[in-house]
Amino acid sequence: MPAQTGAILAIAVGLSLVQGVRVCYGRRWPFGSYLGFTWAFFAAFAVAELFSFRAGNWIIAIVSFLALREYFSMVEIRLQDRLGILGAYASIPFMFHFVTTQWYGMFIVSIPVYSFLAIPLLVSLGGCEREGTVFSIGVIDFGLFLFVYCMGHISYLMSYSIWMAAFLILDVAVCDVIHFLLRRETWPGWGRLAARYFLPLPLTVLLTVALSPWTTIPVGHSVVLGILIPALVMMGRHTGNYVEADLGVAEETVGPGRGQILDNLKSLLFAAPVVYHYLRYYLDLP
Amino acid sequence: MNAERLAALARVLLHLAVLRPLVRLYCGVHVIGSIHLHDLPRFILIANHNSHLDVLLLFSLLPARDIARTHPVADELYFTRHPMLFGLMNFLLQPVWIRRGQAGRHDDPLREIRGLLERGHNIILFPEGTRGRPGEMQAFKSGLGRLVQQLPSVPIVPVFLSGPERVLPKGSLVPLPFWSQVLLGPPQFCTGSPRDTIRHLENTLIELSRSGVARRNPRKRRRLAPAPTLAVLGIDGSGKSTVSRSLAQRLSVPGSACLVSDRLEFYERGELKPLQPLGLEEARGMLSRYAKQAKSLATYKIPKLAELLLRDRLLSDVNRWYAPQLVVQDGSPLLNMAAWVALYDRENLDDDTLLKAIAVLTGDNSGLSRNDPVFRQIPELALLSRLGLAHLQLPRLLFLLDLPAHVACARITSRGGPRQPHETEEKLGRLRQAYQRVVRITARKWNIPVMVIEGDRPLDEALAKVLNFAQANLEQEPSHDHKSAD
Repeated sequence: MPAQTGAILAIAVGLSLVQGVRVCYGRRWPFGSYLGFTWAFFAAFAVAELFSFRAGNWIIAIVSFLALREYFSMVEIRLQDRLGILGAYASIPFMFHFVTTQWYGMFIVSIPVYSFLAIPLLVSLGGCEREGTVFSIGVIDFGLFLFVYCMGHISYLMSYSIWMAAFLILDVAVCDVIHFLLRRETWPGWGRLAARYFLPLPLTVLLTVALSPWTTIPVGHSVVLGILIPALVMMGRHTGNYVEADLGVAEETVGPGRGQILDNLKSLLFAAPVVYHYLRYYLDLP
Repeated sequence: MNAERLAALARVLLHLAVLRPLVRLYCGVHVIGSIHLHDLPRFILIANHNSHLDVLLLFSLLPARDIARTHPVADELYFTRHPMLFGLMNFLLQPVWIRRGQAGRHDDPLREIRGLLERGHNIILFPEGTRGRPGEMQAFKSGLGRLVQQLPSVPIVPVFLSGPERVLPKGSLVPLPFWSQVLLGPPQFCTGSPRDTIRHLENTLIELSRSGVARRNPRKRRRLAPAPTLAVLGIDGSGKSTVSRSLAQRLSVPGSACLVSDRLEFYERGELKPLQPLGLEEARGMLSRYAKQAKSLATYKIPKLAELLLRDRLLSDVNRWYAPQLVVQDGSPLLNMAAWVALYDRENLDDDTLLKAIAVLTGDNSGLSRNDPVFRQIPELALLSRLGLAHLQLPRLLFLLDLPAHVACARITSRGGPRQPHETEEKLGRLRQAYQRVVRITARKWNIPVMVIEGDRPLDEALAKVLNFAQANLEQEPSHDHKSAD
């Protein structure tokens, strides 16, 4: 077994063990849901590496379904938007199917073109009330874009090479841990912002460069990605925090169905698509 | 006998292996307070009823040993319309069927329920009777009260379900995936009259529904009216920064106030709070430091003008990012600019022209043509107006710290440090007159309350009067009433 397969397996098994301990140990763990979330990704990677890419891909599809479901559970929608929401859920298999068939063109347009055209139509077919239509369409489209489209990029990255997706998850996890440790710091002025960018920066650069033989990303691009990822994580977290605040998710109310997945996912929302398109463009991937 | 036990086993297995995982995968179930069901030998579950899914959700939170001996109460007429469903329900859920609206048999279901409870079985009951409109609770039916009166020792566990009304609301056929929150309350024992029991249980359930966990965040719209602005005017060395700082601090006691001075400060309930930095403020600070290094009035003018413009723009940023209930300004950019116009003025402007200039600076160009004499007299005004920079804000309250120029000069000298070009006795004297004039005409024209403070008196004495004045004048403004906001 090559070393990179072994490493993926080791991380997946390690996270599974931690997950098992967590389930037996009890419910409250400060990092609990984040571990579960990362575990889901590495489970998908391990399955894709060992068995079939298709199966790993559908695990990520399930994660994105759970994220979308949680988001829809928190937003205020009208009864008659149900058809539009059904359309949003139906877009998940639609898009992930094109990931398994490696049809890039259709993958990239499926949601922005077809779903975003279908959903307004479905919402307008749902009932006779016209008031609130724009808001409903916006709510549904936004959730679909963030939780399905952006997540789909991780899957597509995985189709190039498992480690291209895995290094992204690891880099983002490093940034997240540092953000978590710094969450109580109240440095004055711009120091707070600078610390959040410059503290994870050496770690992500080192990690990306160290993993470059496995990810097959040239060292130069690895350095650029290591510099890029902390900034993307910050953007994602900042946007996510605003979304969370509007949905009423606070640190003390986070729970199952109440922002748990969104809270973990927000760092990936910018990182996944941008890193994907960076790699695809510069490495000339299919 | 054996067949019955086999059926019970199959029932439990079906629940645990098929029904429960399906329900959990499709609509996530978050149970809060499941500990209230532990160690109860028998119980009555009551829950709000919005969806057909409710009963499945309630079954999915039962301990395994209770699955085969729990019976929901259901309307027979409704379900016999679908024979398949009726058979499935009979096998999986073993309901107690009631026939509504059949006189004579009125007591039958109650007797059956009582019999089951006496044998140690559990009952699931929806006291609203039928499924209500999504998210609304109806009045409870009276049968529950009579049942509880007959069996006062059976604990009643109230459950509030939120979510199923979105998964499968009344009238829709396709269930959609949404999370469901299941909130269990502590077991209740009721001994009063049936009517008291009903009222008590209704209130318990309503209280559960209000406990916050079950509710979604409703869409709110906050009114983003800018906070009223207080401006403290005065020449350099008059102590206006001290006055404005203590004003901001004391006026923030009922809520919050932001001080726009050489530095931004935010006070909440009288205490200084850390602020997130603003890029505009950093730029303004740099410009202000640069302006203070100027050697002559001519080189002071442009950076000072830019700084005043930025300081005014900062007001809207402060409102947007900090949302204070009150803004205290150390100097008003608009009136400072007007005073400087009067100061630089070589060809003695009359009051009307000055008022016109102030009006243009606030963005009010009505009644003025492009080649009005005011633009010729003050060329900078035409430039600002053409660049679209002339929309400065008038403060709502004005304070003028009045101080003779020689006292101010003495204070500046004793303070030490480098002097700015205009900080001479002669120029400060002219600036003082300019301020007095500007404040006088502005207040008259726009009806702004003004208070003149003698700057050479002790500050503490003046401050009490200033506070009273500010509070009295702000209370007249309905927009400052923070209780009626929202």
